[in-house]
Amino acid sequence: MTGLWYVLGFLIAGVSFVFLTIGLAWLISHRNRGDRHKGLPYESGIDTFGDTWGRFGLSFYIYALLFVAFDIEVVFVYLWAIVFRDVLVGGLVSMAVFVGILMLGLAYAWRKGVLRWR
Amino acid sequence: MSVVVRPSGRLSPTGRVMVPALGVLVLLVVVLLAGIGTGIIPAIVIWIGGVLLANIAIVRFVVAATAVLLFTIPTAFVIIFMELKVIAFMNLRIGPNRVGPWGTLASVVHGLKVLSKEDFTPTGADVSVFTLAPVVTFVASVMAFMVLPFGPGLFGADLNVGMLYFFAVGGLGVVGLLMAGWSSFNKYSLLGGLRSAAQMVSYEIPLTLSVVGVIMLAGTMSLNGIVQAQSGSFLDWFVVRQPLAFLVFFIAATAEANRTPFDLTEADSEIVAGFATEYSGMRFGFFFFAEYVNVFLLSGLAVVLFFGGWTAPVPWPWPVHILVAPGELGLGLLAIVILAPLVGSTLLALPLWMLRSSWPFWRAWILGLVLFTLLAIGAIGIYLLINLDALLGIVWFFAKSYVFVFTFVWMRATLPRIRIDQLMGLAWKWLLPASLVNLFLTALAILVVHP
Repeated sequence: MTGLWYVLGFLIAGVSFVFLTIGLAWLISHRNRGDRHKGLPYESGIDTFGDTWGRFGLSFYIYALLFVAFDIEVVFVYLWAIVFRDVLVGGLVSMAVFVGILMLGLAYAWRKGVLRWR
Repeated sequence: MSVVVRPSGRLSPTGRVMVPALGVLVLLVVVLLAGIGTGIIPAIVIWIGGVLLANIAIVRFVVAATAVLLFTIPTAFVIIFMELKVIAFMNLRIGPNRVGPWGTLASVVHGLKVLSKEDFTPTGADVSVFTLAPVVTFVASVMAFMVLPFGPGLFGADLNVGMLYFFAVGGLGVVGLLMAGWSSFNKYSLLGGLRSAAQMVSYEIPLTLSVVGVIMLAGTMSLNGIVQAQSGSFLDWFVVRQPLAFLVFFIAATAEANRTPFDLTEADSEIVAGFATEYSGMRFGFFFFAEYVNVFLLSGLAVVLFFGGWTAPVPWPWPVHILVAPGELGLGLLAIVILAPLVGSTLLALPLWMLRSSWPFWRAWILGLVLFTLLAIGAIGIYLLINLDALLGIVWFFAKSYVFVFTFVWMRATLPRIRIDQLMGLAWKWLLPASLVNLFLTALAILVVHP
């Protein structure tokens, strides 16, 4: 239970540290509104055109999906690793089946060329 | 010819400061003596001590949080200085040598400069997300520091799910990068943020899977427990039994910390500055602050998981504990405290005085006192180091961690940057299968050796 309070406390301490520092910087740094061009996004000197928050490559979504699948796997594997000395052979077999199914998915993605960056 | 006459009644500039300061000092001493004499100050001290003791849990938390937060600042400065100086030496340059001895203050000046720079928000940006992004990135690093054991008994909190917590919170840094990329209203930033996210997310998997072998061997996820499982000599360190895991872990950690050869997110040859394109001032500073803190964090984690944390590589070969309880000496202690400096300084001064016959004795004696002080500090330091496990543990932990920090810097000076398709391929096609192979090999080994 104390651990939870520590997590919360560190969160508050860290956030306040960052905001205090940014506030201090705001107090001592110089500011200049400049003209209209100062606030434009920097795109190598060319004025921005088109929709910035538009569509982007599909491969990012696929990596995110793969990540979610394997990250959930990691949570299970960690718990399994702690109790491994109690479950031994049965645990090894069931984990092999579990990881095997996931690896089939990875192999399928690999075969489909999803892992090749485009 | 004019003669400058100082007007009487005026003080020199030094005097103008010193005289009021002396007055205040005398007043303070008088108040202090009066307070002690009437028993007010001892009562206050006892009351404060009582309050602190009653809330010892809160005091421990405040000390831990302050220590961790303040510890991040010198860490970042030291690593930045190492980047400047070590890479300079590796390139046969001199490196920073103007500010401070051997340029050691150069990184501090960099920090102050960033603090005083204009912190600008572009017109189209989403202001709240734009401001929160560096906060998320930095706080994720600081919160991961909470479970890292610096020495025996020196840690923020010893969670029993320490390692899971470490990776979970450390992984939140990705959210900060995505927020930065999205909120900047800049196509380069958006693409850079997405690329960083794809890279860090891909390397998160081998990073977390490679340490499963360590968990199996230690039987716990608490980082303290893992260190204790490796105590003994350096042959008990998990790197001996998990070399493949360490290799995968180290490569993935390099990518997680955005270091060369995987620093595509902020490299000069890539899309401008990636997610940080629109950032300036302290908000920009916090991204790189977080990056340097991450370098130390991952070095520390590598030491904790594979190199025995704060344990010494060889157990101390002779019995150590020289315990002299100061209270037992009674009046003798007073005599030692008063007489030892006098006698020691005189003894050290005598040879100096005899060698330099032109010196008056007081001069030799002052030099003797300085020498004695240095010797006493050294002796007390060695005494503490031998008697306090925590101090010795901290020294070992930092020595080992900085070997890894140095390796990160060394790699930056040596290795060429890889392409982004090679980067993603390495994570999914090599590191992930390797970490799974390591997992099953470890499981089989435990089955065979430990039925």
